[in-house]
Amino acid sequence: MAGSNEVNVNESKRVVPLNTWVLISNFKLKYNMLRRPDGTFNRHLAEFLDRKVSANATPVNGVLSFDLLIDRPTSLLVRIYRPTPFPDTDNTEPSTSSMSSLLTDLIQPPSSDPFPVIVFFHGGSFAHSSANTAIYDSLCRRFVSLCNAVVISVNYRRSPEYRYPCAYDDGWTALKWASTQPWLHSGKDSKLRVFLAGDSSGGNIAHHVAVRAIESGITISGNILLNPMFGGQARTESEKRLDGKYFVTIQDRDWYWKAFLPEGVDRDHPACNPFGPNGNDLKGLPFPRSIVVVAGLDLVQDWQLAYVDGLKKAGQDVKLVYREQATIGFYLLPNTDHFYEVMEEIKGFVSSNC
Amino acid sequence: MGPYPCGSAAGGWEGVRSEAQCTAAPDIDGLLAGAGYRVRSSDLCQVAQRLERLESAMVYNSGGGHADYDHLASDAVHYNPSDLASWVDSMLSELTPADPGPVRHAPAPDGWVDQIYPQPQRAVAARMEEEEDSGIRLVHLLMSSAEAIQRGDAALSGSLIDEMRLLLTRVNTGFGIGKVAGYFVDALTRRLYSVSSPAASGSPAEYEILYHHFYEASPYLKFAHFTANQAILEAFDGHDRVHVIDFSLMHGLQWPALIQALALRPGGPPSLRLTGIGPPSPDGRDSLREIGVRLAELARSVRVQFAFRGVAANRLDDVRPWMLQVAPGEAVAVNSVMQLHRLLTDPDSPGPAPIDSVLSWIHGLRPKIVTVVEQEADHNKTGFLDRFTEALFYYSTMFDSLEAGRANGSAVQQQQATAVAEVYLQREIRDIVCCEGPDRAERHEPLVRWRARMGQAGFKPVHLGSNAFKQASMLLTLFSGEGYCVEEVDGCLTLGWHSRPLIAASAWRADDLEDNARPVPDNFIFSSISSTSNTNDSNNNNNNNNNIINGNGSMLRRNSNNNSRSSDSSSQQESIHGM
Repeated sequence: MAGSNEVNVNESKRVVPLNTWVLISNFKLKYNMLRRPDGTFNRHLAEFLDRKVSANATPVNGVLSFDLLIDRPTSLLVRIYRPTPFPDTDNTEPSTSSMSSLLTDLIQPPSSDPFPVIVFFHGGSFAHSSANTAIYDSLCRRFVSLCNAVVISVNYRRSPEYRYPCAYDDGWTALKWASTQPWLHSGKDSKLRVFLAGDSSGGNIAHHVAVRAIESGITISGNILLNPMFGGQARTESEKRLDGKYFVTIQDRDWYWKAFLPEGVDRDHPACNPFGPNGNDLKGLPFPRSIVVVAGLDLVQDWQLAYVDGLKKAGQDVKLVYREQATIGFYLLPNTDHFYEVMEEIKGFVSSNC
Repeated sequence: MGPYPCGSAAGGWEGVRSEAQCTAAPDIDGLLAGAGYRVRSSDLCQVAQRLERLESAMVYNSGGGHADYDHLASDAVHYNPSDLASWVDSMLSELTPADPGPVRHAPAPDGWVDQIYPQPQRAVAARMEEEEDSGIRLVHLLMSSAEAIQRGDAALSGSLIDEMRLLLTRVNTGFGIGKVAGYFVDALTRRLYSVSSPAASGSPAEYEILYHHFYEASPYLKFAHFTANQAILEAFDGHDRVHVIDFSLMHGLQWPALIQALALRPGGPPSLRLTGIGPPSPDGRDSLREIGVRLAELARSVRVQFAFRGVAANRLDDVRPWMLQVAPGEAVAVNSVMQLHRLLTDPDSPGPAPIDSVLSWIHGLRPKIVTVVEQEADHNKTGFLDRFTEALFYYSTMFDSLEAGRANGSAVQQQQATAVAEVYLQREIRDIVCCEGPDRAERHEPLVRWRARMGQAGFKPVHLGSNAFKQASMLLTLFSGEGYCVEEVDGCLTLGWHSRPLIAASAWRADDLEDNARPVPDNFIFSSISSTSNTNDSNNNNNNNNNIINGNGSMLRRNSNNNSRSSDSSSQQESIHGM
């Protein structure tokens, strides 16, 4: 065995529970197989290996889900998660269990009080996973219960087959669609109280969709970025220090950026490095409040911290939640303090901005 | 032993909080189960160690390059990714052949998937179109009408149907909800107003034409054939004499591909027997034989020794195993594409259903592989409203996918195929909505129930792997209309439209180590069947060889026993020989 490899493995094992280690290592090894050196991606095998779950219009733990096709030309699906709808008290007909699963009943507002709508972008470094991937289905269900929210998980197009800006376009389409849905508007002023959320590449998408929303008249109540995926051409100190130590390598980060960004550009492209040399100035613009969660053992944390800095310098409201001993993916299994404390932070952020 | 104190929390936390998000089977790690992975808590340590070893092997073998990832990705076949322990073991054995024993010896408890989430209901795939309001109104009316029927309120149901007909004149019935609603209104009308039992009409020949168009217009049947053939091919590996029993020959569309694949087999093709079951032709034509002749010609052209036998039967439960003439030493494959559900009865009705005896004699054949493809839906519910609702959503999605295929296909032929394919589906809809009791044949049940049934009947699962998955995915890229999706679930493959699975394929086996054992079905009594010289050979092994392999060209020997059997509604036909 390579000596350094043994050291790496030992370090990561010390900081996460055993089942988390198994889960993330499993992803790591499988993802290694899927990325080809020539930049292509073994999509068939990826879809075969991905563990997915069906939507379930029958409530489980008070949450039900259903899939909607919201843009036919791009086959854009979203999976919507919501609390159990109240029975329709105006309906004099006896309601049956089958009728309560009808679309019209599913799209009743969850309550007459204001409620948050979270447009969620799953992670996977722009290439992996789907809205119906099991780990993200679990996370979205948790957000519903946590925040009494309707969660819209966007099945955005992935790279390398679909590069920048397709994922952002799909995110924008989903946001626009949400703004046209009367049942998602709540409160006396009938407003869409929408939050953009995402982990890894999903966090990156949330930022860029928020930028697009600035000029559109769609007000976003808040951005929730969980270990967001940012980068840049330089090699930061955290990247060098943590390369290969906690499941992630600089090499794989480079691969995913190369697969997502337009051909021929480098990682200082604004999609990757929004506050870098090619970034746009957000000063004075109505960018939403943000909460950014950074894991202290994530090798791209310097880029994430630079993002937080960039928002602050642009006069934007941002809260940093820094979890020193957390690794990537800590939010996938509810078995650590990181998980529960970060969920509380998110809950607080949503309720105070709803 | 690694640095982990196995079974206890990792260091660094005051306590590991574990929350069972789902009720997995005992000893299965609940959190990993929620992520889609099935690992025994007691195996976690070993799986972790094996993952470490796998990583080291991958890095070590490739010298830091990509070489070994590539092998594992492109050459290795992956099976049942949910079973992490087996997966990592299979990867390790690909890289390091001299590997000590696997982590797990016992298969995971059956049916555990059911305990994680309740039976998934239909996923509602709706279209946000301009006629949305009319469409939603139509659906409401359909449901109300069906509920009225369930309550016995024919008058209300009738008036609702009238209202729907009116609404259909204002809605675009060319596509979308208007189209599928039209078919359901039609079915409801028939149920209400038909005097006679609205059994499926039309001759077998007509049905075959409809089937062929459905085959052309959509990928569902092709997926079924593809996936089944892949499993059959793999099961036949290493066998020189193979016998495929097709429960519904139709035009034999499935078999040219298998014949050609066998022809290209490294080491040469086996000798292949195909027994095709189908309904008798009312007009005296021997349609089964005609198809057998065509297949024999194909087999001859690719130098595969081939023999065909047709078994004419109106119902699968009229078929007796001796008619199939399974010979000792041959590897048997039983292929059923959307046939088994016809053998089911109402879930509430007492007593055994025909499916039980059929599964029993299939098992008795000791097949190396049984390929089962079924509609992924629960259309066997007793309650009319529930069944109606389920079917509405299922066929809605199905029609949606056909539409997309029609919209994207430019050939006139494709358009026509789609139109006739709709008639094929209409028959199913009518059966589900209009027929009750023994009249209803389309008793679709979901994969999870078929898995339980096959398990109870003594079959063991054969997992469909990543190669079958890949081929199925590639097949789909030939179809425009990007909504199709193939998914792997517990070793089975499903094909769906926009995340709703519509058809599910699984494979099973019941062979024992004793390949020479000749099964004698013990619930059929030979003596009651009048025998003829050359066909009732079940007790005479030698004659089978004569029937199967005969050197020169096709031979037609009309059976003399076609009309002599009064206790059976089925008959046998002669064998057709290729090569």
